[in-house]
Amino acid sequence: MKRIIVTVVSVILMAVTLSGCMSGCAGGSASDEISVFYYTYSDTYISGVRSAMDKIFKENGVKHNSYDANSNQSTQTEQIDIALSKGASMLVVNIVDTGSNDAAQNIVNKARERNVPVIFFNRSVDESVISSYEKCVFVGTDYEMAGHMQGEMVGNYLLANYDAVDLNKDGKISYVIFKGQEGNMEAIARTQYGVEDANKVLTANGKPKMQFYDPQNRNGYLVDQDGNWSSASATNYMSTILAQYSESNNNMVELVMANNDEMALGAVSALQAAGYNKQGGKTIPVFGVDATDAARTAIKDGRMTGTIKQDGEGMAKVIYTLTSNFKEGKPTMEGVDEETVVGNWRVNIPYSAYTGQE
Amino acid sequence: MGETIKPNNRRFKGLSGKDRLRAVYDLLINNAMYIIIVAAIIFIAIRVPAFLSLSSIINIISLTAARLPIALGIGGAIVLSGTDISAGRAVGLTACIAASLLQSTGYANKLFPNLGVVPLPFVILAVIAVGAVIGLVNGFFVAKFKLHPFIVTLSTQLILFGAVLMYLMIGNNNGQTLSGLDPVYTEFVRGTLFTVGGVAVPKYVLYSLIITVLMWVIWNKTTFGKNMFAVGSNEEAANVSGVNVFRTIILVFMLAGIMYGITGFIEGGRIASCSANTGVNYESDAIAACVIGGVSFVGGTGKISGIVTGVFLLQIIFVGLNFLSVSANMLYIIKGLIILTACAIDMRKYLARR
Repeated sequence: MKRIIVTVVSVILMAVTLSGCMSGCAGGSASDEISVFYYTYSDTYISGVRSAMDKIFKENGVKHNSYDANSNQSTQTEQIDIALSKGASMLVVNIVDTGSNDAAQNIVNKARERNVPVIFFNRSVDESVISSYEKCVFVGTDYEMAGHMQGEMVGNYLLANYDAVDLNKDGKISYVIFKGQEGNMEAIARTQYGVEDANKVLTANGKPKMQFYDPQNRNGYLVDQDGNWSSASATNYMSTILAQYSESNNNMVELVMANNDEMALGAVSALQAAGYNKQGGKTIPVFGVDATDAARTAIKDGRMTGTIKQDGEGMAKVIYTLTSNFKEGKPTMEGVDEETVVGNWRVNIPYSAYTGQE
Repeated sequence: MGETIKPNNRRFKGLSGKDRLRAVYDLLINNAMYIIIVAAIIFIAIRVPAFLSLSSIINIISLTAARLPIALGIGGAIVLSGTDISAGRAVGLTACIAASLLQSTGYANKLFPNLGVVPLPFVILAVIAVGAVIGLVNGFFVAKFKLHPFIVTLSTQLILFGAVLMYLMIGNNNGQTLSGLDPVYTEFVRGTLFTVGGVAVPKYVLYSLIITVLMWVIWNKTTFGKNMFAVGSNEEAANVSGVNVFRTIILVFMLAGIMYGITGFIEGGRIASCSANTGVNYESDAIAACVIGGVSFVGGTGKISGIVTGVFLLQIIFVGLNFLSVSANMLYIIKGLIILTACAIDMRKYLARR
């Protein structure tokens, strides 16, 4: 028994030392280290930003350390305490809690005490928080833009292909939209503006508004019950929809919109199981957001129709420029494309529509 | 319920009417889950007749089939009066492994760019092996150190999450969703088994059926199954009567792990895009299904048919509320009430037996 415990403990110790060496054996002290905090490692888009960031820091020989908050704000706040006490020279924060200003303000206050610059990115932080500290900026996307752009893309696609999409020829497009999470600002904006803007394009060109496939559903969307923006939730919903709504019943869902690409691909999987969105067959247009690698390939193959590209690499580049500006004492926004700078407190990484052409 | 065996209740025996009432009452309570299912189906079908259309029934069966293997695996752990909360992450890891080995050769973002398409039987064996190893670790720590399975699987679930994240960072994948699966794989999982009235039944329904039958045989017709129930109801007694408790516990967890591997394999092909989020929280539905189906946390009791009923009921609620266009918020409340009721009925039976 004792021997087993000793073995187990020594194996664990060995694993700890080994993994410690893999990530940071080169540098001894943690001073002048840049600490990067991600809201969760399991987010596909954030993973893309993370590897771009790791790469750019490594190429420029900047010491950095990454933390995973696993979608928990108190974990993240504790990690920030640890990093600050270790002597981090800069905080790059992808905040977890976007619902109130308290968490972000708390982080800013801690950083100000030690005179450490803070760069928030991706998940939105209020202007009042950012401008409360001169060494604080926000790099994000205008989160409402993704919804607007998706709506516009859908509207234009429908105009160009109206009769082909309108399977039952009733003159109206029946649609479903998958929402990633309740209470998330981005999910709310994408759901609302995606539909509103598509309708704007349609009505401006003399077409009727799209109709939610189930008029009884007063929400006008289907939401991932676990709030994970997951493909599985969209697959389950879509196959349930297809059990009730089909071409033979003359009430087929004619358009699918999703808050992100994972859910869009999940819907595609259910559609394929029902015989749609395969080569040579009928295709129900499916739209997502993020332009993940998987979605881009799906669009090229014709399984999916369009997505909105969030430029993860562009975001990492801007963050790197900002960190070196802070370090060298240059003006904060030096070297950042002026068009993307908003009032000296935030940088907006532009979105772009993606329909298969690079 | 204990008063039935008190001597002063003997006078009620003469009143056959009351006895009959009690018998009917007991019958109703003991079969409450079936009654709830039938009532739910009737209610939903009256409101939305399409609920009982062929395509809807097949959809419910398919959704049940997809969630069945993981529940059957967890069932064994619960029979041992334990639990397994590493199941969801185990499904996630095995789904990612299966997907990564079966990406089509031309796909630009392959996790293993130089790997051809691995033959399906090998991948199935691989995920089963990975699942079995996960189960072996869980079972070993439970059996050897007498740790509560909750603690053991709480730890392994974290380790598995780390493993998934690292796995997805291999090559140029950068944590991206695994997609672009070879058609051989997706066809094998969600391809058409046969069509009824123009509605396709996916192949994984058959796999789930085979697994259910296998598990029924293992639980009911093998020495291992009998040992499992013996250890679950009284470990000491089982030990005294010559059951190898250590081996039984490890085998139960390994069998559970194999079930997670199979669930991961099916889920990977069914969803056709796997990320670090795949499988998260699947264990909570699986545990709920087992409890609803009468697999008691007290240990030593449970039936395969009960687990199937439990999974089926949860899917009926999911699909039914969608058909009824009920707000998703209600689903949580209804699910919670059903699990609570099921547990209460279960404990009531247990108390009555004492």
